[in-house]
Amino acid sequence: MNGVVDPGRARRYEDGAGDDSEASWKAREHRRPIIQAAARRTLKRRRLAGRLFRALCVLCAAIALAPLVALVYYTAERGLPGLSFGFLIHAPVPEGIPGGGISTAIVGSAEIVGLALLMAIPVGLFTALFLHERRGRLAGAIRFGADLLTGVPSIVIGIFAYALLVRPLHHFSNLAAAFALGVLMLPIMIRADEEAMRTVAVDLWEAGMALGARRSRVARSVVLRGALPGLVSGNLLAVSRGVGETAPLLFTVAAPSFAMTLFIYTEGTQPFPTAQQMAWATAFVLLAFVLVLSGVARLVAWHLTRKAR
Amino acid sequence: MTALPGLAGVASVKDAIRRRHGRRGGRAYVVVRWAAAAVFVALLCGLVASIAVDSSQALAHTGIGFIWSGTWNPAANQFGAGILVVGTIVTTFVAMVIVVPVGLGTAAFLSELAPRWLAGPLSTAIDLLAAVPSIVVGLWALLVLSPVFADHVEPFLKSVPLLQWFFHGPAYGPSIMLASVVLAVMTLPTVVALSRTALSGVALADREAAMALGATHWQVVREVVFPGARSGIAAALTLAVGRALGESIAVAMVIGNNPSVPHSLLAPGATLGSAIVNEFAEAAPGIGTSSVIALAAVLLMLTLAVNAGGQALLRRLGPGRLLRSERAERPARPGRAARREVPA
Repeated sequence: MNGVVDPGRARRYEDGAGDDSEASWKAREHRRPIIQAAARRTLKRRRLAGRLFRALCVLCAAIALAPLVALVYYTAERGLPGLSFGFLIHAPVPEGIPGGGISTAIVGSAEIVGLALLMAIPVGLFTALFLHERRGRLAGAIRFGADLLTGVPSIVIGIFAYALLVRPLHHFSNLAAAFALGVLMLPIMIRADEEAMRTVAVDLWEAGMALGARRSRVARSVVLRGALPGLVSGNLLAVSRGVGETAPLLFTVAAPSFAMTLFIYTEGTQPFPTAQQMAWATAFVLLAFVLVLSGVARLVAWHLTRKAR
Repeated sequence: MTALPGLAGVASVKDAIRRRHGRRGGRAYVVVRWAAAAVFVALLCGLVASIAVDSSQALAHTGIGFIWSGTWNPAANQFGAGILVVGTIVTTFVAMVIVVPVGLGTAAFLSELAPRWLAGPLSTAIDLLAAVPSIVVGLWALLVLSPVFADHVEPFLKSVPLLQWFFHGPAYGPSIMLASVVLAVMTLPTVVALSRTALSGVALADREAAMALGATHWQVVREVVFPGARSGIAAALTLAVGRALGESIAVAMVIGNNPSVPHSLLAPGATLGSAIVNEFAEAAPGIGTSSVIALAAVLLMLTLAVNAGGQALLRRLGPGRLLRSERAERPARPGRAARREVPA
């Protein structure tokens, strides 16, 4: 606590502190240069510490930014050469044969994420409405459950989907993968949806009810309408998280070439340069998609806050 | 005071509305709403129950000692999560050693030092880092970072006198250290975003008071801002730990997958997540699969405990202290009185 609030030091500088009589001030007058010099010294030290702190913080920010720059740079550098229109529309070919693309992986990823959204969005939306319109112990418990489920490792969710949909049905399927991704996205959606609904003033809800509208009508025309930008941006963020997940697909998708992330995993861990090239190109497509998606989500959210002002 | 005429009618109007809504006021809607909540609760319970049931066979075979027993050797029918738990905790710990100073420094920079034109884009960039799929981070770490580590970083770490105790042995590239770096990259956005919110939530009046006492900027940050945001930062770190514990695929790509007692951070190791990734497909049906699912159960317990702790920390703060600034940004947010429970 240098120099801010240090009673010990204050006493050292001016003995007789608290004695405010004229005589006391005069008696202490000759010490003023000493006190001022001491204050200057600590100020110098404190300023030096401040400069050090500033430099360290700038360094930390630079270190924090470095991985993103390096990730985007290397993915572009190694992925772009392998990228072409044909790469996007052709099916993968076995190792050693030139050409081939990732059309099956793109279609598979789209199908899995689409199915997952079909399952997760309605449940998420209505659960969020439930949380929005009811307060109390049950709502609190569900909210807590959503927060906990957000923290559950994706690989555990993958095993859950395997146990529920793959093992009993005796085959891997995109449905099981979609279920896993749905479970993964659901808690994110619930919390984002509820946050978005909170931005709609309760007065409007009450006004809707006072007009004699049904609950469902108020939910649709007031709450959902008002929260729309927030709902869109929250759900888009959940999608961008779901698209990039690999672990839940490991035990649910039939073949690696049916999902982009799995394809990157199997190709990237092979020692062949051609396979690694495929992995980089796929990673570039995936990264571009995810970053654009989060950018759009952010834009929508920004638009919302600007409109609210 | 006499009762206002007409006020007596309010109760009956209210009753009428309630009756109307009870009878045909979107009963289907209320049912659907309940059903959605029920589905969610069922999923939560189903997840825990399914993992518990499937791992019971392994736990019955090995006993509760599964959690700390040290050998993982499926070929010899020996199953124990001990080494993997150690590997998980070590990688997470080393990742936190990297992330805590860097993350807090960045958060302090964003909230205290950076001019507005820089703080906005920089925090967006760090949020974008959170959006990068873990598989892309893993690919980058495996193909770009790993050779750099083997040739430059790891020999350097071995040459530093005091660090030699942690870093010795051959430098392969894939190692516990590399996995920790990957985890650090992946948890950094969580730490930065949450602790930044906590830092900027510290009241302006507190800072001004310290400034008025003659504190320099650095002293204000150290004496007022960080202590004021202490619990928010603790929650941020807890959630980051939870995330690091559960990450599997990127770690599996770079850790070298060697379930043995780690003697050096440069040696290959294994975590719960990486072992599940590698073992699940090859596990023998029955006891083998059940053991891998038991690993998932251990991982689930570990992360649930850590996350529940983090949530409890966040909750105890309440929105008043952690999210003070956020509340000010939200003009449409209704007041406390207006947010009372809506009669269902």
